Amino acid sequence: MRNIIRRAAALLASAAVLWGGSFPAAFAGEPYEVYNYDCWGEPIPSQAGYIAERAVSGTDLGTSPFSSPSDLFCGTDGTFYIADTGNNRIVAADSGLSFTVKVYDRFTMQDGSTTRLKAPTGVFVSPYNGYMYIADHDNSRVLVCDTQGSVEMEITKPDSEVYDRNRTFLPQKVIADKAGNVYVVLSNITTGAAMFSPDGGFTGFYGANRVQPTMQRIGDFFGRLFISEKKKARQMRNIPSGITSFDIDGDFIFTCSASSTQSTDTVKKLNAAGKNIFANMDVIFGDYTPVYDTSQNRLMAPAICDIDIAEDGNINCLDLTSGRVFQYDEDCGLLFITGAVSKQLGGFDQPAALESFGNDLYVLDSSKNTVTVFTETDFGSIVHKAAALHNDGRYDEAIGPWQEVLEYDGNYLRAYVGMASGLLRKGDYKGAMKYAKLAEASDIYNKAFEGYRMEWLRANFGIIAAVIAAAAVLLALTGKLRKNHRKAVTTEKKEG
Amino acid sequence: MMDLTQAQWVKYAVTHPAEGFEDMRWKKSGSLKIAFFIVFLLFLSRIAVSRLYGFQFYATYDKIFNIMPYIIQSFVLFAVWVVGNWSVCTLLDGEGTMRNICIYSAYALIPFVAQSFITTLLSHFLIRDESVFIQIIQIIGTVWTVILLFSAIRSVHQYTFGKTVLAILLTIAAMLIMLFLLVLSMSLLQQVYIFLYTIYTEISYRVRV
Repeated sequence: MRNIIRRAAALLASAAVLWGGSFPAAFAGEPYEVYNYDCWGEPIPSQAGYIAERAVSGTDLGTSPFSSPSDLFCGTDGTFYIADTGNNRIVAADSGLSFTVKVYDRFTMQDGSTTRLKAPTGVFVSPYNGYMYIADHDNSRVLVCDTQGSVEMEITKPDSEVYDRNRTFLPQKVIADKAGNVYVVLSNITTGAAMFSPDGGFTGFYGANRVQPTMQRIGDFFGRLFISEKKKARQMRNIPSGITSFDIDGDFIFTCSASSTQSTDTVKKLNAAGKNIFANMDVIFGDYTPVYDTSQNRLMAPAICDIDIAEDGNINCLDLTSGRVFQYDEDCGLLFITGAVSKQLGGFDQPAALESFGNDLYVLDSSKNTVTVFTETDFGSIVHKAAALHNDGRYDEAIGPWQEVLEYDGNYLRAYVGMASGLLRKGDYKGAMKYAKLAEASDIYNKAFEGYRMEWLRANFGIIAAVIAAAAVLLALTGKLRKNHRKAVTTEKKEG
Repeated sequence: MMDLTQAQWVKYAVTHPAEGFEDMRWKKSGSLKIAFFIVFLLFLSRIAVSRLYGFQFYATYDKIFNIMPYIIQSFVLFAVWVVGNWSVCTLLDGEGTMRNICIYSAYALIPFVAQSFITTLLSHFLIRDESVFIQIIQIIGTVWTVILLFSAIRSVHQYTFGKTVLAILLTIAAMLIMLFLLVLSMSLLQQVYIFLYTIYTEISYRVRV
């Protein structure tokens, strides 16, 4: 009797634990439907990988409210830097986003004078030399200073033949690489980011976008052969949209372009030579089929306005149009879609910048004037674990986590691809074929089928050889019989 | 001489591209039943190619199955070919009747149909690296059918080489016109249907109120 009571108590306790454990934040109501894409590129309901935890405003950080902030950067030590454009300052906050570390609003120049910012739109802190780079938009300069606020270098409009004299210098975003080269996105330049050497000398442009070869462009090209110079001057020019924002990850610079009309080069991965590694990849960043919004009379085409590379190599893209964060793994496989345009927590009005730190995502909204903190759900952490193993090439180790992912969400496409790859690596060709079919991955299926066929031929070689031999003998025999028959017929005819 | 059954005639016509249909015409042979059966096989082969192919070659969209494209690709296209050819060649002093055009054209389709089924079957045993075998069979089947079709039109109307080419080109033009008119009349009928349906709903609402 006692035993039974004890068992019942244990059961109840474990049930309570399970109950509490299985209803974490993952089921709290997001102000939007969580979805993902299936193997045919159609949206289907899915589980959330991230959940909005809180929104942090300027007052939450112990300083005055933000005014249309436009950039967010997280240093390697976890310090957050917010480019508070409307208040002409940079706010540094601690890694938990609970208090302000320092407010940068005046800087000491090298000659001892103080200077102020005017609408700073970009901030970057180099993990290599510790310098802070600020895109001081309305002052037409980039400030390079240390964390104390004393300016080391000031980059202004370059005096070069390559840089058009008639154009102003309006820095929008700035980053610096390992060697100290500074890259500046200029809001009025479409030929790529301006590149400066560590001593501030202009070295050229980097990573321009390509023109999208649409039918209209091709038609224009032929049309131009026949029209006059006057008309030509009045015509629209074929210029690709410029870079909107970028992020650096080791030796690679990732750029994004927020253009709702362009679909080529919206997200690029550039190597040191400025070559786009994603150029030949058949990936659509953002929503696959843009929805037509009748209330606004426009196509809700994705416009990726900021990009961030997480520590584990995942690519986070912020879509301005839909207010969604699209997370891809390093091979551009879609992992999660988070966020919406909404007033509630987890939605955005005018998302401006995106950062990741640890397992969290941070999205800056320049209209709500807040930073929204997204934390990873249980589902998200399993997917990330599996995807990391998969991208490491350890397909067989990833099978366990992928299976767990499928228990959460049986429609999760990446999990089927992962399972198929893992089983193929293990040599379970039949299983790999099954999962490859579910993932609609015919290249994996092809490889698995090759192995399966080989195995089958090896196992049944005796029978196959016997059947072929029997068929050959049978054919030979019937051939002989027919010949004899024909001979008999012809001789009969001759006799007749 | 040439006393063959209907089934033997099929074999003879297919394996003798140059004079097979001439002999068939001379013997007044050929069966409409077999012709319709071949067109039905063509219909099945279209479905097989797009639905039963090995997964390593095609990933088919399995969410829906619509039979209309297959019907159009086989029955409708064949009917339009026969009617188009008959109408063009009647004006061009062709000697073929509608029945003969139908029979000869259908017989000429056999290599293409066979090719479809053979490649579909093979696609379940081959991998992508070996797809060249499938391609070779596809090319042989298709070219064979084209040659047979040419020979069929030439002998059914008793044309010269040049006139056959002209007749085939005109037939294709006639087919395009017919298909265009078909689509046009379909959409017009749809408009009429929608109009009638709207009236019906309107009246049924009034009656209820």
